[in-house]
Amino acid sequence: MDGWMGQILRINLSDAEYRVEDLDPDLAEDFIGGRGLASQMLFDEVDPRVEPLSPENKVIFAVGPLTGTGVVGAARSMVVTKSPLTSGITSSNLGGHFGPELKFAGYDAIIIEGKSPEPVYLLINDENVEFKPAEHLWGKSTSETEDMIQAEIADSWKARETQIVCIGPAGENLVKFASIIHSGRAFGRSGAGAVMGFKNLKAIAVRGTKGITIADVDSFKEAAADFLENKIKGSFFTEVRPALGTWYLVPMFKGAGMLPVRNYQAGIFEGVDKIDEKVMQSEILIGKKSCFACPCADTRLTKVTDPRFQGEGEGPEYESWGKLGPDCGVNDIAAITKASYICNEMGMDTISMGGTIACAMELYEKGFLPKEDTGYQLNFGNAKALVELVEKTGLRQGFGDILAEGSYWLAEKYGHPEISMVVKRQEFPAIHPQGSQLMGLAYATSNRGACHTKASVSLDKRFEVAGQATRLKQMQDYIAVIDASGLCWSVMMRPPLMIEEVSTFLRYATGADYTDETMMLVGERIWNLERVFNLKAGLTAQDDSLPKRILEESVLTGEAEGQVIQLDKMLPEYYEARGWDKSGAPTSQKLAELGLS
Amino acid sequence: MAQIKIDHDKCIACCLCEIVCSMQHTGTINPKRSRIRVFIEGDSFFPVIAGPYTDAECTAKTSVSISGKEYDGCVLCRASCPAKPIFKEPDVDIPLKCDFCGEPPDPQCVEVCLSGALTLVG
Repeated sequence: MDGWMGQILRINLSDAEYRVEDLDPDLAEDFIGGRGLASQMLFDEVDPRVEPLSPENKVIFAVGPLTGTGVVGAARSMVVTKSPLTSGITSSNLGGHFGPELKFAGYDAIIIEGKSPEPVYLLINDENVEFKPAEHLWGKSTSETEDMIQAEIADSWKARETQIVCIGPAGENLVKFASIIHSGRAFGRSGAGAVMGFKNLKAIAVRGTKGITIADVDSFKEAAADFLENKIKGSFFTEVRPALGTWYLVPMFKGAGMLPVRNYQAGIFEGVDKIDEKVMQSEILIGKKSCFACPCADTRLTKVTDPRFQGEGEGPEYESWGKLGPDCGVNDIAAITKASYICNEMGMDTISMGGTIACAMELYEKGFLPKEDTGYQLNFGNAKALVELVEKTGLRQGFGDILAEGSYWLAEKYGHPEISMVVKRQEFPAIHPQGSQLMGLAYATSNRGACHTKASVSLDKRFEVAGQATRLKQMQDYIAVIDASGLCWSVMMRPPLMIEEVSTFLRYATGADYTDETMMLVGERIWNLERVFNLKAGLTAQDDSLPKRILEESVLTGEAEGQVIQLDKMLPEYYEARGWDKSGAPTSQKLAELGLS
Repeated sequence: MAQIKIDHDKCIACCLCEIVCSMQHTGTINPKRSRIRVFIEGDSFFPVIAGPYTDAECTAKTSVSISGKEYDGCVLCRASCPAKPIFKEPDVDIPLKCDFCGEPPDPQCVEVCLSGALTLVG
């Protein structure tokens, strides 16, 4: 096969056995790869009603036919599983170098099944797959784990070519939003790290020497070079992103008054000048780094010298900054950066972590959460409490044990579920949804719960309601294709949507005759498959909702003053645009049209 | 004589050079068969272009100090040798060497490097 490697690695942890299977070419064409292929496999092999933390759940890592091929940003891999946070299907995306290396080892996907009786890690060298004991790695931070695994590889040159994904203490401790970490980057959201931890799988280390073949090399090279020359070189991607990374969003959302402030009680943060992108550049930035095949150099290499919160590492990026900073009312760059480092070392999602602490802070300030439970005067802005509670959450110590369940269970426990800013029990990202009707609808309808990567916020027409449903449907389908192909959301979501470019790359790389239409139909197929999984798992149309604060209380000021998300108007339009019935279920006609019946 | 000038301070480790080099020379995308490799040393990135193969390793190791940090001389060395099995075909061990993508020189790695780390001079 071209573009695809043509092989799936199936790992059975219960028996410490593996086998290599051929990738079905029809299935590959119908679901492309990555999020699409892995979701199809989960759907096919896992009963949607299983406990997320059980041997019956599976974790599937998958790359797309464009991963590693050199198209700008095509470094991405996905992990798909049933989420312990949302109880629905989730897919989480990773950049860096892991996905390409998995392909060079010859695989389009790794399916992880069962549960190992003892902690293990997998060491994959092309066709050689070893189950290695990981007792000595249990309890280690993610960077320690990566270093120790690399030190165990006898040939140091091979060790430096080995790419590792691993969990930290948070995954081992089944923190509901534990991530899987790769050199300071993350399969961040929805708790895939906890599923790995439950399975006693500490890490996967992979190195490969195989080449990716391309169906039409000359045309592909020309298209990739043309894309680099005309869409990337001299553009926002080489002129703004290397300087600011994702922090370019700070002035954008600050200006629009839609920062996530104090658990979404406001959109303007009075302390923002002390922690904004200029402060990042002058106070913490020491270098920058790219993902494989990307000139954006988004990753911030940073150092905190402030003696209270010393450290060095990667990040934070915009989302981590927004959630650990303004959302918690913290205007201390050293504390925000330190909290982000700890999340990375523990292997935890910064978004859900920040959102859960922000929820606790609001509960505390309103008198619903007593000090004797938290151990802190947990007012918004308490930087010391933020940093200490992040650590305690990863270790499930004290109040951290409650925070480790996420904000939904926290708020429920203290009798005020309306204070948890979640959709499908997953915390909001760092964009205030009242600043954009489209984003509000995107949060409400996302299959994995509130998510920043299922739509792109544009600041014009942001308060319009009419037409957002069809606009969002197209974006969601397109993004599903991006996630399936191995491309980068961040690069490909720069408007307008680059449908023609993507279908061209897919056609040249794989030789399959994708058109704009058939490719977008794959996106729609993926979206509907995830939806059906969720419905079978017990989610309903009631889960396509937003907290009361967002629907009824207008909290923003300035341009966005008076805005609430008009979900009652948009949701019926959205279901109609999707070909779903009034209960939000795909009609049998729609499923037949997509080949899913 | 054409030279590729390497400014490692500008490298961002995107490895596009490895991708296009392998595509140019093998028709597939495979960094392990590339004539240029990017070595990641903490927060510093070193593109190294394959020089001649030597069948004996050095009798003494060197270390190189750059901007106050020490680096293993082997990492920065362009030679493939028994101590550095990089720049070899993975399956058959045949050494690889940069040929500037033919005559006149048209190195694809330079072409694709937007960071400014690689430039063609002379």
